[in-house]
Amino acid sequence: MSSTNRVGVFFCRAGAGRLPGFDFAEVADFAERLPEVITVEDLGDQPNLAAQDLVSTIQRHALDRIVIGGGSPGYFKPVFTRAMAEAGGDPDEVRLASFGELFAAGVDDPMATARAITACAVNGIPFRLAATPDRVPVNPETLVIGGGVAGIETALRIASAGYRVHMVERSATIGGHMAMFDKTFPTLDCAACILTPKMVSVGQHELIDILNCSEVTAVSGSPGDYKVTVERQAQRVDPESCIACHACRDVCPTRVDSEFDEGIISRKAIYMAFPQAIPNTYVVDGDNCRYVRSDGEKCGACVKKCPKDAIDLDRTKSTKELQVGNVVVATGFETFDAARIDRYGYGQLPNVLTSLEFERLTNASGPTGGKIVTRVPSYNKRKKTEEWVFDPEGPEPDSVAIIHCVGSRDQNYNPYCSRVCCMYSLKFAHLVKEKLPGATCYQFYIDMRAFGKGYEEFFERIKDEGVFVIRGRSAKIDHRYGKMIIKGEDVVHDRIMEIPVDMVLLAVGLEPAHGTNRLAEVLGIHPGPDGWFTELNYNSDPTSTNRAGVHVAGVCQGPKDIPDTVAQASAVAARVLGSVISGSIQTQPATVSLEEISRQAARLADASV
Amino acid sequence: MAIRANPHLIDELELYGAQDVVKCYHCGNCSATCPFSGDSYVFPRKSMRYLQLGLESCLRDTLEPWLCYYCGECSDECPRGAEPGETMMSMRRWLTARYDFTGISALFYRSPKAELLAIVLLALLTGLGFVLFGLSQGDLAVYSGDGAFLPAEKVHLFDWTMAGVLVLLLGINCIRMWWFTIGSDRSIRVTPLLYLKQLFQVPLHFMTQKRYRDCDRQRPWAIHLVLMLSYLTMLILIMFFLHRVQHGPGIDWWVHGFGYAAALGLIGTTIYALRGRLKQSEPHYKHSHETDWIFLVLLLLVSVTGVAQHALHRGGFEVAANLVYVVHMMGVVPMLLLEVPFSKWSHMAYRPLAMYFSAIHERASLNVPADDQSKTPAPQVA
Repeated sequence: MSSTNRVGVFFCRAGAGRLPGFDFAEVADFAERLPEVITVEDLGDQPNLAAQDLVSTIQRHALDRIVIGGGSPGYFKPVFTRAMAEAGGDPDEVRLASFGELFAAGVDDPMATARAITACAVNGIPFRLAATPDRVPVNPETLVIGGGVAGIETALRIASAGYRVHMVERSATIGGHMAMFDKTFPTLDCAACILTPKMVSVGQHELIDILNCSEVTAVSGSPGDYKVTVERQAQRVDPESCIACHACRDVCPTRVDSEFDEGIISRKAIYMAFPQAIPNTYVVDGDNCRYVRSDGEKCGACVKKCPKDAIDLDRTKSTKELQVGNVVVATGFETFDAARIDRYGYGQLPNVLTSLEFERLTNASGPTGGKIVTRVPSYNKRKKTEEWVFDPEGPEPDSVAIIHCVGSRDQNYNPYCSRVCCMYSLKFAHLVKEKLPGATCYQFYIDMRAFGKGYEEFFERIKDEGVFVIRGRSAKIDHRYGKMIIKGEDVVHDRIMEIPVDMVLLAVGLEPAHGTNRLAEVLGIHPGPDGWFTELNYNSDPTSTNRAGVHVAGVCQGPKDIPDTVAQASAVAARVLGSVISGSIQTQPATVSLEEISRQAARLADASV
Repeated sequence: MAIRANPHLIDELELYGAQDVVKCYHCGNCSATCPFSGDSYVFPRKSMRYLQLGLESCLRDTLEPWLCYYCGECSDECPRGAEPGETMMSMRRWLTARYDFTGISALFYRSPKAELLAIVLLALLTGLGFVLFGLSQGDLAVYSGDGAFLPAEKVHLFDWTMAGVLVLLLGINCIRMWWFTIGSDRSIRVTPLLYLKQLFQVPLHFMTQKRYRDCDRQRPWAIHLVLMLSYLTMLILIMFFLHRVQHGPGIDWWVHGFGYAAALGLIGTTIYALRGRLKQSEPHYKHSHETDWIFLVLLLLVSVTGVAQHALHRGGFEVAANLVYVVHMMGVVPMLLLEVPFSKWSHMAYRPLAMYFSAIHERASLNVPADDQSKTPAPQVA
């Protein structure tokens, strides 16, 4: 076979009804400019072609390869094969450029892909083969963005295989939301007992660098070799010297709401999120520190008090450049802002709590030592105002109502199901019943989504514990005579329920963590319409993204519970290790440009000669 | 008793304006939001269920749609966009059609074109009739007094004849409504005394619409009440004082004072409602069935022509006044003969009656022996 061919491209529009908006002229124009293409003919939409006309065309142009382009070109293959044979050419050199599948598969840019398919067919190369991307060498280091349970799991798996991991965490400590939880469902294991050993392993692992108080601000480079810029807040406490003696905390005069305790108690401006925080050092909250805010004019008490001289409040933020081969996004979620729904009175009624607040309340290491109490008014001497606080000695609630689907499955807020709320609500009911056996507990739900292993059994168990399960989402909470009156329809019994309760827990749904869109821009990956990161293929490739070497793990890809998060995180680790151990990474079809495919097609054609 | 399901009930209700009923997933948010939904009547979710299941007879026998004044809160809060408020509205239209024994109502609601055609035909007929009648016995240049084109006493007679027909038609429909909702209900036993004792509900709700006030937004109630009272005032003036109303050219303040206030109320509220429906400014104005437009436009036309003939007569333009009078009657007759028994106007009878019936039903079901109350068991502690 000669190295240059004489190719004729024929477009058959018959059956093109399947290709809405397809521009044959554009592809024909493109085909004409390809080397080796002698003639391009548009045969219109006639379903029956005269073989004799084709024979004369082939002979006139002395074609030795024919490309049939169209919605279903296979239909025309017999007539072209016959014509080719009659004209004395090689009947095997009839190639198909089929565009029908483009639309069936939902390709991003069908026209560009159609051009690439045509180029491949002209070169005699199957498109699938040409579109198989190159493998490029991969940097063995990995960046994990987010230090929640997903990030921790991925980092540990990769590091324990012997490869370096950089973990970037926005807050002061790794651990994420799971560190705040009291128990896990449905096994009722202590969440901290599962997570803190893992956190310690991360902290101690010589192959894992934790960059806390840091954010990824820029990513450049290509698959296998990404350059990442990480901006780190000023490290005003030297982690090497700090011995966590708490002396600085005791003298710090500034109080702010504790993020870790969901604001139900306060912390100082120099703080450690919780005693098991990793890195286990104090950090300075630059936004609230009196010294930092006054440019060094005021305070500075902690500096003098520190026995190790570990504090330098004059430090400024730093940037760090990392070179990594793979990026794992595990940025997790934040909970729905319940104050957006007026009728639940969150933020106005003192004993309407969100689920995370209740997690801290019922957590043995939380502000009340795990006692479930209601807020009581207390006089704040400093602010000279009355405020509602949790007092460990305060009154216990006689009745607790849990409202499901707050902000979820609601087209006014988030249309999706947040997946974890039903189960954690059942867990809450259990915790209330366990700690306050005399209390009445009501669940107002729409549909009980107990879908996982052991979940339905857990639901049955909770009902056996005497929890009132009312089908019907409550619509509003009124406040009368010191009690909250929760009003909802009992759909099964067709009546309106008005139940006085002491505490209402709102099962708030999950939303993408703030900054998700910005991070998506930085990484060049897409959040879906509901805000969660889009995976490459929901069924067959749920951890990869449209950018090779960028993976998603955990809730940032979509709401999921802890077991699923850990499973997905491990799957990501396997993907990362697959590329790191093989030393190369596959660039993906979506990233292969038309030029690349044409070039590749030409190269493969040469190689086959 | 077996209940027959009609799988096409939702499709049928769509002709009456129901939308998106299938979206409802029965969270009960609407019923809990509704200020009227309470111990004995829980709505609108249940009616949505009836629709989804096609339980036509249950829907026909329920009073719930009439207890709703459409403040729109349920639609605002609905997590599915299932528009329960509009569904209740369309059920009121459907019920109006079911109560109407002639079938004309169903025809009008299903085909607004038919309604429009009937109105136009009747208007033309009325116009022709009054012109011929006027020419046969009076002078076009005389508006009132001797030799008037349309003498008050004759028109008065005509009005009362029309009223008689209306009361007959509407009365039969009201009896049908009673039969569906109370009369055929075997689960309750209503004593004549109870009927008598609760009778005050009808004038009470008719005159004050006090339930509407319980909606969170009170302006719709005020507008509705002004419209209704103005209409009522006008009706009384015309039915009992037509001679004094028509007489001129002096102004009889005892009659005309009321007339001016009522005209102002009618024109103001209809313009407000038309504007609201055009701009879809409030929840209950968001969806407009064609019959809503016909209703408002007719009312505005009748009010404006009524004021115009009065002004023209006082201004000395007798011929013009008489012509406008004819146009006025061309609006009044279709409005009363078609809208009152068969279309939107009928709710002025059905709604107060529904309040009355619901009060009776509520009290009657309290007398039911205890074993029949097993329908409402204790909360599920399963």
